[in-house]
Amino acid sequence: MCDVQAKLIAWLDGELSSDESADLDRHIKGCQECRDRLATYKQVSEAFEVYCDAVVAGKMRQRVSRWVPVLASAVAAGVVLFLAFSQRRIEPPPVLAPTLAATSVPVPALRAAEAAPPKTIRRRHAVPPVQKRAIKWQPTETAVQIAIPAEAMFPPGAIPEGMNFIAELSIAPDGSVQQVRLRQ
Amino acid sequence: MSDDSVPLALPLLRLASGSSEVTTLYRELRKPLLRYLVCLGLSSDEAQDVVQDAFLSLQRHLASDAPQENIRGWLFRVAHNQARNRQASYHRRFSEPLDGEIDFLADDATPEQRVLEKEKFRRLAAAIRLLTESERECLLLRAGGLRYREIGEVLGMAVSTVGDTVERAIKKLAEKCNV
Repeated sequence: MCDVQAKLIAWLDGELSSDESADLDRHIKGCQECRDRLATYKQVSEAFEVYCDAVVAGKMRQRVSRWVPVLASAVAAGVVLFLAFSQRRIEPPPVLAPTLAATSVPVPALRAAEAAPPKTIRRRHAVPPVQKRAIKWQPTETAVQIAIPAEAMFPPGAIPEGMNFIAELSIAPDGSVQQVRLRQ
Repeated sequence: MSDDSVPLALPLLRLASGSSEVTTLYRELRKPLLRYLVCLGLSSDEAQDVVQDAFLSLQRHLASDAPQENIRGWLFRVAHNQARNRQASYHRRFSEPLDGEIDFLADDATPEQRVLEKEKFRRLAAAIRLLTESERECLLLRAGGLRYREIGEVLGMAVSTVGDTVERAIKKLAEKCNV
């Protein structure tokens, strides 16, 4: 067993003086046993650090897991609230739909009444075609023949006795007399 | 443990974003301090509280006329003492088996690898529990990057005693783990 083995860990940690360190450097280069021991000490030191990190990670996980029920409750409450509010928003349409359906009959009527004035105006503008028809229906022949006694139209003695006249009236579609012609 | 795994306490957010000497020390030493405190047996919340208190003490310390050598050792000593004061069940909690709490294997490890690594880890955990308190603390501070002199300041030990303690602890673990 080397007599420098007691200094190996201090050498590994850089805690030796420069002279001691230089001596040990030379020894280690020629001593397999010391190199093996150094490798073991390095391995143990690294394993210890890994262990420390694992302990810290485990504690952190515990810390997080402690909050999991709280976070889960908060999320659940949030979901419930969201569903409650979203249902409220969705519910009205089915509830209001029948109401709208029931009132849908008068509503169009009202709307029609409200829309009546513009329609009336349109109808006024539609009259001219009717007048055009009347113009087109210009009477060229007698529409109605009425026999009227002469004594009912002229004073007595103004015309020979027994003479009658035929009045030809052209009547427009609106009922007005457009033309009157008397013939014997 | 990633930098983001432990949320910063609010007063330390200023520290993390600043550019002072304390900020530099905070960025460098926060993680090793947390690891040391958690491995001592503190919960992660307790460890964060202690780290925060330690850095606030550091700010006061740097603002004072007190000697400002070996700030890293000073910070670990403050944190160590605060942890001791807070941790009523220090010994019991540090001795708790940690096998069920740890998760150190990569996700892509095969089942055989998992079994072997778990067994090695179980042996190491058992060996660590057999260390004395000062041996564990020395190894933890050494794993935090502290020099023997700094470890001695934190634990109130002579540098040579620290060397002996570290050597004894490493050899015990090597022997128990059959490495």
